[in-house]
Amino acid sequence: MSNITECILVFILLSVLVSLGSTRLIALVKIMALQGIMVSLTPLFLKGHESLGSGAIIFFQLMILIKGLLIPGLLFMAVKRIAIKRDIEPFIGYHASILAGLAMLIFSVFITSHLRLSLPAGHDMVLITAITTMAAGFFLMMARSKAITQVIGYLMLENGIYLIGTALTKHSHTLYVVEFGVLLDLLVGVMIMGIILHNINSAFDDVDTTLLRRLKD
Amino acid sequence: MIEFIFLLPIATGLTALVLPVNLGRILLLITALLHLQLTIMTWLGKLSPAFTNYFNSTPEGLLILTVTSFIFVCISVYSYSYMQETEMGNKPVFICCMLLFLGTMSMVTLSDHPIVLWIAIEATTLVSAPLIFIHRSKESLEATWKYVLICSVGIALALLGYFFITLAMDIGNIDAPMTFSSLNTVASQLDPLWLKVGFVFVVIGFGTKMGLAPMHTWLPDAHSQAPSPASALLSGALLNCAFLGIYKTHVLMSVAGLGEFSSNILIGFGLLSMLVGAIFIIGQPDYKRMLAYSSIKNMGIIAFGVGVGGFALYGAFLHIIHHSLLKSSLFLSAGNILLGFGTKQVQRIGGIINHLPRTFISFFAGFIGISGLPPFGMFISEVVIIIGAFQEHRYLSVTFFLLALTLVGAGIGRIFMSMSYGETTDKLEVEETTLRLLPSYALLLASVGLCIWMPDIVYTTILNSIKIIGGTIHG
Repeated sequence: MSNITECILVFILLSVLVSLGSTRLIALVKIMALQGIMVSLTPLFLKGHESLGSGAIIFFQLMILIKGLLIPGLLFMAVKRIAIKRDIEPFIGYHASILAGLAMLIFSVFITSHLRLSLPAGHDMVLITAITTMAAGFFLMMARSKAITQVIGYLMLENGIYLIGTALTKHSHTLYVVEFGVLLDLLVGVMIMGIILHNINSAFDDVDTTLLRRLKD
Repeated sequence: MIEFIFLLPIATGLTALVLPVNLGRILLLITALLHLQLTIMTWLGKLSPAFTNYFNSTPEGLLILTVTSFIFVCISVYSYSYMQETEMGNKPVFICCMLLFLGTMSMVTLSDHPIVLWIAIEATTLVSAPLIFIHRSKESLEATWKYVLICSVGIALALLGYFFITLAMDIGNIDAPMTFSSLNTVASQLDPLWLKVGFVFVVIGFGTKMGLAPMHTWLPDAHSQAPSPASALLSGALLNCAFLGIYKTHVLMSVAGLGEFSSNILIGFGLLSMLVGAIFIIGQPDYKRMLAYSSIKNMGIIAFGVGVGGFALYGAFLHIIHHSLLKSSLFLSAGNILLGFGTKQVQRIGGIINHLPRTFISFFAGFIGISGLPPFGMFISEVVIIIGAFQEHRYLSVTFFLLALTLVGAGIGRIFMSMSYGETTDKLEVEETTLRLLPSYALLLASVGLCIWMPDIVYTTILNSIKIIGGTIHG
């Protein structure tokens, strides 16, 4: 099964790099949908997860539904409503961002090989992908000025954390009820962020976070 | 079923969305009283958990639950009158979110599973965000955005921390249910390296929510922009809940023999928060922000007390109780002042003693209390922490501690004096009413009362919460 896992991981890595370089917000949302589906599929193909109960199957279906469909759908609606097409004037340019993404990839390979964890075979690739995804999420939040790109960065960070969870821990003590709670929090979080985004847009005529500088000491 | 404690407010909160506002206000009061009743029943041992894998009543959780429940009763009385006086974007949403907020905070205090705790804390962020945004100004939008984004990212790191702790379980080959109580029994088998890494992430994550410097940046904005009842709840109850997450992980570290590592981290963050709070209080032009920075400083004191351990740990728990009582009372008084004068600027307010004489009493008493002067409880808790720190030979830290306390006393004093006396300004917009005064008096009296006579059951509960990591009252 490791070939399929590696394919999925390559897709995730590519989606991270493309998202760092993409200028159009709609494209960014589509990439997030793909990434969400790929991230939810990863644990299915990892070794040691073959014996899936019925609870697990329902959980993974729900997860694909939420990460691949509902959350991107909410983001899509938000992008449509605030009527901006692209994130111009990023703090860090797009080409530089892609380069930074590659640097993060190398860095995470370096970390993973130096940790010398006793990971099951194939899991170190997951760890590399996870660390890169997390770092890229942080990077997006800091390097872009539009509020919606920051939400996408937050989602990417969550994806990375979820991958670390699946890569590092055995699934023996994972309770799907609990993971579903985490997922629900994420969904509601994005919904609330979407509502605030809409309000920021109507109050300031833009979703640029540089406009949010009123409160300070 | 102990789960009723958080299911009840969540259910009534959702009901309030469809009820007319007047009925909703009554529902808020009734739910608050029922919640207090359920909490008391838990103290008496009448309720037992139905899902022991996820929820359990621990002494420290019970203590924070009781404080939250008592404060909420006072705040619901205040809100009853407050909602008549103010314009709000959407009153049913306000009632709903207040109740959901109570529900999710109760869930934090009762959860025993690390990830369930995480879910509950993240949920508190989400349900309290609409409260901050309720006035729909540009400033409140900015505050809400910062609150949701900074806290969500911070708390996401705490989740990562708990994954690392799970990894520590795997490496140690532990086959126990993943609850704090069962982890404490097998703590010595956990892998120390990953436990340490996990703890650092948990402190950074929940520390963001608790308002520890330097992750505190959302706190002054959110607390100053939220309507006063919500600020009182944010400061008096929510910060404690985030603290509970850190405390439970700290206990796990101590039992695993890594207490020194986690203590030093907590002391570092605690001292830094105290200094940051103190520095920003001096010359603060906005009195609600001043109260928010005072919360940061007090959270620093609590983290410091827990880090020092021993006798100071007892002081830290006293400090949690009294800070919640006094700070929520102060925010409620500040709400009266804000309604009366219509501004948050210290400079434009003067002569509270003439305009709002009864608010002046609670405001001034709150000021005495928050500065750590007798007869209020923060005097005792701060003295206990200082004595505890001397016993542990942390002289340098005590010096910083005293410096921060002095700075805060000076900063707060100047602001209070200029607001209370000073020159009289224009006519008042809204007069004070008894319903909006009784809650602050009740909270202040509770703080004084607990100094004079602390029920034995509270006393033993505090001792039970701290004895597992060596906290005592005998020095």
